Amino acid sequence: MNIQKERKDTELTLTLSGRLDTNTASDLEKEIQQSCNEIETLILDLAGLDYISSAGLRVILSAQKQMLKQGSMKLRNLNESVREVFDMTGFSSILDLE
Amino acid sequence: MISVKHLSKSFDNSCVLKDINAEIRKGEIISIIGPSGTGKSTFLRCLNLLERPDSGEILIAGIPLLSPQTDIYLLRQKMGMVFQSFNLFSHLMVIENLMLGPLHLLKLSRQQAYERSIKLLETVGLSGKAYSYPSELSGGQKQRVAIARALAMKPEIVLFDEPTSALDPTMVSEVLAVIRKLKDQDMTMMIVTHEMNFARDVSSRIFYMDEGIIFEEGPPEQIFGAPQQERTRAFIHKISLFRFTAAGRNFDIYRLNAELEEFGLRRLLTRKQIHNLQLLSEEVLFNLLFPITEIIELAVGCAEDNQQTEISFEYQGTSGNPMENVSPDNELSCMIIKKMSQHCDYSFDKQSNKLKLTLK
Repeated sequence: MNIQKERKDTELTLTLSGRLDTNTASDLEKEIQQSCNEIETLILDLAGLDYISSAGLRVILSAQKQMLKQGSMKLRNLNESVREVFDMTGFSSILDLE
Repeated sequence: MISVKHLSKSFDNSCVLKDINAEIRKGEIISIIGPSGTGKSTFLRCLNLLERPDSGEILIAGIPLLSPQTDIYLLRQKMGMVFQSFNLFSHLMVIENLMLGPLHLLKLSRQQAYERSIKLLETVGLSGKAYSYPSELSGGQKQRVAIARALAMKPEIVLFDEPTSALDPTMVSEVLAVIRKLKDQDMTMMIVTHEMNFARDVSSRIFYMDEGIIFEEGPPEQIFGAPQQERTRAFIHKISLFRFTAAGRNFDIYRLNAELEEFGLRRLLTRKQIHNLQLLSEEVLFNLLFPITEIIELAVGCAEDNQQTEISFEYQGTSGNPMENVSPDNELSCMIIKKMSQHCDYSFDKQSNKLKLTLK
């Protein structure tokens, strides 16, 4: 998985590509922990993400908890198979999906 | 169209073809399947004398191929051959590769050869690549050019020698799609292949080769659905099953995913089915089973029509359905597994647990 960062003032966009799975979820977790201080809006752009498993969902859920304390989190550009996993786990209704 | 009697061929001391007998009628599509090293390609190469048989008889349209009086070059013109490794002329453009045979052997005019070649490139979906060199094409495109080139000679018979074996799995389907298209053109085709779904779909008959002979032949429904010989049964069973041992949390999941993908593409599963297989494997292994056990045998089987794909996980230890052992750590996984599976069966027999899932 690749993570690209783009920061504008208090808004941070992380663009993910590849696979967010058991092996790579911890990379995203570290990135969010390191970069999200003083961030009010976190955007996860998933256009290039073609696979997500529960390990990835857990990291996204804990990012959501953290961001609710300091602002908000949005996910955008989910492809069909990733969206399906969000739908079947009920994540679509608790997260802000664009 | 092709009649083969008592064909045999040895290399040094090893006898590759023992006693091949076959009758192939005009317009038939024959797929030759079987384990590696059983002489499938050698048989095919004997049919246009790329290999010279030691003994036996081959009649092509009634003409004895092995007779010294036979004009082998003339007879070869009736037969196109497509190789595993494409064998295109790398210094010639695609269109020149196609025009070469018709110009020099069929004595067509440049204009006729050109028009025919362009038409054939359209058939294989590559009219835009006429002026490219082979090195500018992907493997799949090169093989489609090679097929068009074989057809440019207006052959009555086309021999395909493992046409997709040298290709990346992602390019296999484009080549198979082109060969499928030829099905209705009344050509006699013989295809050595490892693509079983493809063989089942396009062939009028299947030859199962083993131990240097045609061990069993019959329509695809027989060979794949109800093989008569024990060896055929064992072979068919083996190729439709994928096995993998996951030993502990640190096993190579990249390899598992790559092998699942390759298996899926060979079985012509959809991208979505392959994705779901990978996701189910990861969820079951990491979140249900590694917390309770170390060594897990994973197996994937596909029904013949690909309508049903089953994945099973076997492991030793005390009994207990892992799907009923829901905790905060694995509830997301259980949710995903349940939503993606049609059935979820658990059984326990002789210290061995088996969790079997049928994909939706």
